[in-house]
Amino acid sequence: MVLYCQIFLIVSYLLHFSLGSAVELPEQFHKSNHTNNWAVLVDTSRFWFNYRHVANVLSIYRSVKRLGIPDSQIILMISDDMACNPRNPRPATIFNNAHEQINVYGDDVEVDYRGYEVSVENFVRLLTGRVPPDTPKSKRLLTDEGSNILIYLTGHGGDGFLKFQDSEEITSQELADALEQMWQKRRYNEIFFIIDTCQASSMYEKFYSPNILATASSLVGEDSLSHHVDSAIGVYIIDRYTYYVLEFLENVHPNSKKTMSEFLSVCPKSACLSTVGVRRDLFKRDPNKVPITDFFGSVRPVIITTDPIYIKHAPKRKKTLNVTRVPEKREYLPQFPMHLVKNTI
Amino acid sequence: MPKLDKKRAEEANRMWASASFVGVLIIIGLPLWWKTTEVYRVALPYDEINAFDTDSHFITTELVVLANDEKTAAKIAEDIAKAFEQTDIIKLKIRHQKLSDNLHQTLDMVADEQEALEEVAAAVDVTKHNTFHVVQRRHLFQDVWIGGDRVAFFRDLKASSTLIRALSSWVLQPLLLEGARSLAADDARRVRLPSEQHLDLLMTVVHPRPQNMKVVFDAPAVLEDYIGSFVDELSYLHNFTLKSQWLHLTEFDFQAKQVLGPSGPEWWVSVDRLPLLLTQLDGRGLGTIRLAAYILPCDVTPLVLHDRGSRIDAPVPAFMSPKWGGVVLLNPSREECSKGQYVVPVNMLMGTFISQLRKLLGITDKVPIPEAYLLPLDSVSPRHWELDSLLRLRTLEQVTSAQRSLKSLAKLLGEIPNIVITDKVGGYIQSAVEHAHEARVYCELGSLVEAHENARSANDAAETAFTEPSLLALLYFPDDQKYAIYIPLFLPIMFPVILSLKNLILWFKGKPVVKEKTD
Repeated sequence: MVLYCQIFLIVSYLLHFSLGSAVELPEQFHKSNHTNNWAVLVDTSRFWFNYRHVANVLSIYRSVKRLGIPDSQIILMISDDMACNPRNPRPATIFNNAHEQINVYGDDVEVDYRGYEVSVENFVRLLTGRVPPDTPKSKRLLTDEGSNILIYLTGHGGDGFLKFQDSEEITSQELADALEQMWQKRRYNEIFFIIDTCQASSMYEKFYSPNILATASSLVGEDSLSHHVDSAIGVYIIDRYTYYVLEFLENVHPNSKKTMSEFLSVCPKSACLSTVGVRRDLFKRDPNKVPITDFFGSVRPVIITTDPIYIKHAPKRKKTLNVTRVPEKREYLPQFPMHLVKNTI
Repeated sequence: MPKLDKKRAEEANRMWASASFVGVLIIIGLPLWWKTTEVYRVALPYDEINAFDTDSHFITTELVVLANDEKTAAKIAEDIAKAFEQTDIIKLKIRHQKLSDNLHQTLDMVADEQEALEEVAAAVDVTKHNTFHVVQRRHLFQDVWIGGDRVAFFRDLKASSTLIRALSSWVLQPLLLEGARSLAADDARRVRLPSEQHLDLLMTVVHPRPQNMKVVFDAPAVLEDYIGSFVDELSYLHNFTLKSQWLHLTEFDFQAKQVLGPSGPEWWVSVDRLPLLLTQLDGRGLGTIRLAAYILPCDVTPLVLHDRGSRIDAPVPAFMSPKWGGVVLLNPSREECSKGQYVVPVNMLMGTFISQLRKLLGITDKVPIPEAYLLPLDSVSPRHWELDSLLRLRTLEQVTSAQRSLKSLAKLLGEIPNIVITDKVGGYIQSAVEHAHEARVYCELGSLVEAHENARSANDAAETAFTEPSLLALLYFPDDQKYAIYIPLFLPIMFPVILSLKNLILWFKGKPVVKEKTD
């Protein structure tokens, strides 16, 4: 037992050491020239029996966050609040696995669009940047020509459309046009598009903009299936495709050397029961040579400053423009609010 | 015969009835359907937009060569003109003349370059944008000397090649301008913020353990004086809003390792850890430019950055992130730690911030050139010729970007026929086209400030046109729906109407429609 522990210690030490040391891409990888990473994660369906879609999207959210994309660069759209659903036997939690091991709702989920804000219009506005001028920063996709974007959609779909909120749908043509507008405005460097719905591959068939790699949980004419039920919660809690994706992502860490082609073959037909579709003709690089962290991880270039300016004399600003310095007034309120009551005597 | 009359009357009734159907459905209905389902599109100046040539912009810049004698002036002017012949992005308008005797004598007399600069400033107008003076001065230790004004001193004819190098890599920067014009981003463009008129600057003082140490630092006043004086110089380019905030108790795990450095033990932090600090600061407060001063807890001071094991020698550990902002890590000394009071070294902190801000706003580093001396900065203000360079850069960038936006918008509107183009969008596009033209004219004339003004208006209008929320109306009425919904509804009604047309025409022509039965 002692020996076992020692070996464990040594191994963990080595592991730690290799994590701490420099990250170097092996030769066979194509270097990407993106400068930042974004993720748009969308769950489009409402109602309790669609619990699994919320679990899907939150699990992906956790994974990309763990791999380094900051919350400010993740747009999370969830159309229904399962954690607070009255039928949820475990309020304020959402699990993605039987035995309720991982609560994906956790305590730091930043939902950017929720409830009825998740609409086709808002989704397309978000992508194309045509948001109303008073939209807060957290609800904008502030990408530029150096951004790699991960788009994950889950919900109910059909041949050529994806249903939003049980009341409207986005067609594959609209989605393709939205992406083209993004390309024209140079709002992305590369996009990795994942969709987990029935007949999912129909959604990417109409894409015509460059630098998009797309994958779908099922081909046209096929259904995407859910993975398993949690009998305590009483509904299916995750979809098959996303389940195997998560299983794969579990073993990915920020310094992983796994490639996109490994990701694309993550769910064989024997496991998914549907055929995973891939579209790679728009993507310039070879998925065999693209590290998965180009989309799931985050790059954040840092430049060390070594040349400060040696300021001789402290400057004084000449013109002072609208400086507002309001002196703060702090005092305790009286314990009994007698000042609010008119003297009635 | 009354039977026939009755028949005729009946037939007339029938015919008028079907004529009214034809009237309603075909004469009123069809055009109405076509008109109401038409996508509203304002006529746009497509020809003008397609004629834009984004690679042909250039800026005219004035250069004045003043030398001790006519011959030197002419030779230097000729050399410079020859060197800048190939670049199509800057057109130099070079004037050369002999120094006035008076100035010549004074320049020979004064010992100090700074003083000489003042003398030149008194004699010629150095406040004019986009005009650079090259002045001969015999008493120089190097070939070329450049300070903060729009003046370069050179020693003699032999300095010509150094002078050209200094002009090209420091002052006029044609390569940088080409990067602003090109489609792919160059290194400088990856670092600097995109041209925006309004910028929010937020300075954050992070003090993770306020209970252990008192920090003496008047953040709002320092921000106002240092950064305020700096940004006032850039008022042609941007409007700034300055804000400051204190953050307590946001501790960051540096994963520092203790190493014995040249002056005692140090804490080494890998550069790879730094992006995570940015992520932590990201969620705290908004702003387009973020400056953060992080006061290090005493148990990790003095902190030194290292890149894969090699110590980074810098006066202060600091770093910046492109298009984001900068961070300075402040090391309280051992005495200050034991005293529990830290006085922030304001000049050093702000000097570092200004150095970072300069790069974020587009002022590039000046690579040293042998035999050329660049007076190091000792105040927050940028050099005057750097401002001109920045104006040139931003002008070109914005004109090019406006024209590219318009071009791709035009392409997009051609590609996707369902997009509604409202009068408002049309107006924006029109104004962007006009301003882009004007900016180009001013660039060619060399009036930088006006050119920049127009370029900015053009870019703003083009941007607004592209991101105008009303351009989204395409979603709800594509062509296939136009046919898919109305045709199943109308076609069954249209059949009898169309079939009755023949009879109707015959009847109107007075021909018998129904063959009369012969009894």
